[in-house]
Amino acid sequence: MILRKQLNNFVLSWRNSRGFKRTILDVVVRGSRNPMVVIGGTIIIIMVALAILAPILPIADPTLPEIRVEERLLPPSERHWFGTDNIGQDVFSRVIWGTRVSLTVASLAISFSLLIGVVLGLTAGYFGGKVDYIIAGTIDLFWTFPAFLLALAFAAALGASLFNVILAISISYWAGFGRLMRGQALTIRERQFVEASRALGAKNWRIMFTHVLPNCTAPLIVWASIGVADAITIESSLSFLGAGTPPSTPSWGNMLNLGMQFIGEAWWVPTFPGVVLLITVLGFNLLGDGLRDVLDPRMKGMRR
Amino acid sequence: MADLISYIVRKLLLAIPVILLATLIVFLMLHLTPGDPALSLVPPRHTAADVEEVREKYGLNDPLYVQYGSFLWRLLHGDMGTSVTTFTSVSGLVFQKLPRTLELMAIGLTISYSIGIPLGIFSALLQNSATDRGVMVFTLVAYAMPSFWLGIMLMLLFAVKLHWLPLGGTVGGFASIILPTVTLGLGNSALTTRMMRSSMLEVLRMDYMTQLRSRGLPEREVIFKHGLKNAVLPVITVIGLDIGWFVGGAVVVETIFSWPGIGKLLVDSILNDDFPVVQGCILVLALFVVIGNLLADILYAYADPRVRLG
Repeated sequence: MILRKQLNNFVLSWRNSRGFKRTILDVVVRGSRNPMVVIGGTIIIIMVALAILAPILPIADPTLPEIRVEERLLPPSERHWFGTDNIGQDVFSRVIWGTRVSLTVASLAISFSLLIGVVLGLTAGYFGGKVDYIIAGTIDLFWTFPAFLLALAFAAALGASLFNVILAISISYWAGFGRLMRGQALTIRERQFVEASRALGAKNWRIMFTHVLPNCTAPLIVWASIGVADAITIESSLSFLGAGTPPSTPSWGNMLNLGMQFIGEAWWVPTFPGVVLLITVLGFNLLGDGLRDVLDPRMKGMRR
Repeated sequence: MADLISYIVRKLLLAIPVILLATLIVFLMLHLTPGDPALSLVPPRHTAADVEEVREKYGLNDPLYVQYGSFLWRLLHGDMGTSVTTFTSVSGLVFQKLPRTLELMAIGLTISYSIGIPLGIFSALLQNSATDRGVMVFTLVAYAMPSFWLGIMLMLLFAVKLHWLPLGGTVGGFASIILPTVTLGLGNSALTTRMMRSSMLEVLRMDYMTQLRSRGLPEREVIFKHGLKNAVLPVITVIGLDIGWFVGGAVVVETIFSWPGIGKLLVDSILNDDFPVVQGCILVLALFVVIGNLLADILYAYADPRVRLG
């Protein structure tokens, strides 16, 4: 009873707030009525839970120190749900551990992209003029380039490591957020509350980060969700090509690369990591698409 | 016509900075590599004298802007360096592989459009029906499916299990090209379908459509003669984005099916540390995207006069 009352108070206090908190509340309350958000959100929660719990789950060791000849390329069975790979490692457990790598890389890469995109886009849109001309030009340049090709170029130059993959995706993906943020800032800076706070003597950076930015939360959440889906795809593609996550770390892309080599003898090695990859990407896409419909129906179809 | 020409000139001028950025990124790649850049440009078996020679030849001791200038100068003369594994010129190597990639993309684009456009129209006309829902589920799944996994699955089914089609390479003639192009086309058709559907839905709500109906035109003529013309225009504009998607897809698909195009050359060169070839491939693919976008813009302006004034 007391808990319920506290929860109510909490919801009420957030409902009366504005900007960021209000948007988060909107996401949860209105999102829970949209089937796409619910399905996508459920998939993501399961995946995140698997990623966090991987070390304590009762699953086989994902990496073996040496080849177990008698367990090589075993088909799916009760003991190995997804079968085993060429050195006898359990595919199911590697898929679970791969979730960790994919989700970490994707969410860090999108966080960095968001940071670059938001700061540059906000500055360009808010100040306008020459600043805008230079930044918007840079954003458009990067936007024209296909993110995957750019990420591949950077990953190839920097060498295969987890950190470099995150860096490569961030550098190639931020332009989308920059474009979005600039467009939003351009319209919001004309609103009256911005003028009001300027009249009260607020400094530019204060208006930018406490008034303009919180009003852009909704589209940023939508695009970040779709961005994570894209980043997972880019990471696994890079790893598949051998330019991403180093082969020693279990990642979906590496496992698919390995699966390609044994496609004739072991269909389960390339199949299962891909199924889980597909479901995860689908989850983030569904969440993004659903939230877009819920938060702002006008944004429909504005996707790259 | 004059406005079309000025539009094309404007677009051409805007493409120059993008091309310069592409060259700059490719140039900087060399300096992003860990260690001495000269070591990336010499064959795996080299002497200290070879390294000095390369350093001298590419002016690696000069300031960066001087190096970039001479890099551009060499590019203008078609010199993209020499492969460190095959010792042939990079430009020769790249242009020898380019037609194979173009072939793949052209057929893939055709497949994507011949699935996406009818499917999009169909699902827009039956909005909110079970068919429409089904099509939307198809686009969601096809969009989320990474092209390399789709390729592996198609290969597993049609080449490994059923033995209908060859595993890869080009020896099978026409049969060899089916799997790579279907992989590319299916993935992209999701985008085309979505685009076509939303564009058709928008046109169906337009006043002039109601006006045509009220004049007693048969529904088929209203939709396919008057509606479709306007609805298909935005789908043409995304051909530029599609090309960006296809360039990324081609790299992956060529690797899976050992298709001897630029994408496979690029991946092989990354794995062999053949740095000059990596640079050449990325530059040519990037230029390809820029030119594709330019052509799409011009095509759109030609088809829709309203665009030229913008």
